[in-house]
Amino acid sequence: MDQRAILDHQFLVAAYAVTWAIQLGYLAWLGFKWKAQKRDAARSAQNSR
Amino acid sequence: MKKFAFGYFAGITTALMVWGYYQAIYVAPLDAMQGEIFRIIFYHVPSASVAFLFFAVSLAGSIGYLSFRRNRLEWAQVSDAWALAGAEVGVVFCSVVLTTGPLWGRRAWGIWWTWDARLTTTLVLWLIYVSYLLLRRFAAGPQVQTLAAVLGIFGALDVPIVYMSNRWWRTQHPAPVFGGGEGSGMDPVMVHALLWNMLAWLAWGLLILALRYHVERQHQRFAAREAQEALDA
Repeated sequence: MDQRAILDHQFLVAAYAVTWAIQLGYLAWLGFKWKAQKRDAARSAQNSR
Repeated sequence: MKKFAFGYFAGITTALMVWGYYQAIYVAPLDAMQGEIFRIIFYHVPSASVAFLFFAVSLAGSIGYLSFRRNRLEWAQVSDAWALAGAEVGVVFCSVVLTTGPLWGRRAWGIWWTWDARLTTTLVLWLIYVSYLLLRRFAAGPQVQTLAAVLGIFGALDVPIVYMSNRWWRTQHPAPVFGGGEGSGMDPVMVHALLWNMLAWLAWGLLILALRYHVERQHQRFAAREAQEALDA
């Protein structure tokens, strides 16, 4: 592979990796938010009893 | 039942993502001019399309909230949850567009960024919706949802400008590949791969949009219950 093709490949891998990092990072944040909300709701229900 | 449907859809989405990746990397031929870097199109273009679609969802939700906020409170809350979910997931996809674009531009044009019409209007769109999210996160008071809805409507006005920007003005960004008139177009195998990836990213987007909507509705119910308890105390 020539230098240009190697660089193209590296940039392509970077683009795909960044895409998945953003998407999966957001999904993980959403999961944590959901869990925290559920925990707070359960705690609040327990306190109000 | 809902959990089963969600799991089933998640399974289909995963299969579509794997199939889309296979199409992008192993089936689509190399571009004669750009070589392998061209394959960024299979993540860049579908992300832009899905971002536009979700900003439209946010627009519909914002209009719904402003229409129902005085007489149908439950509908207003549902609309508001869709508006927020659409804006947030739209920002995620727009962030993908704004990071994969410069990576592609660096190899294709030799520059990371230029202030041309398509790139600038996309950045402005992203900034508008980030400010929408910041408003919702940090502002307090009964008018936040109304203000956010108005901002959401004005933000959506930028979407057709972004879409038309490389038709209206001569830009560094390439002319449209689809619907760009005579001389535009792609190899049918590339189009096939692009359509599979569009479908896959749409499915992925709908999945996280539904999740975000669910989380927001849960938050609304929790906030309403807390407010009621505070009133009762």
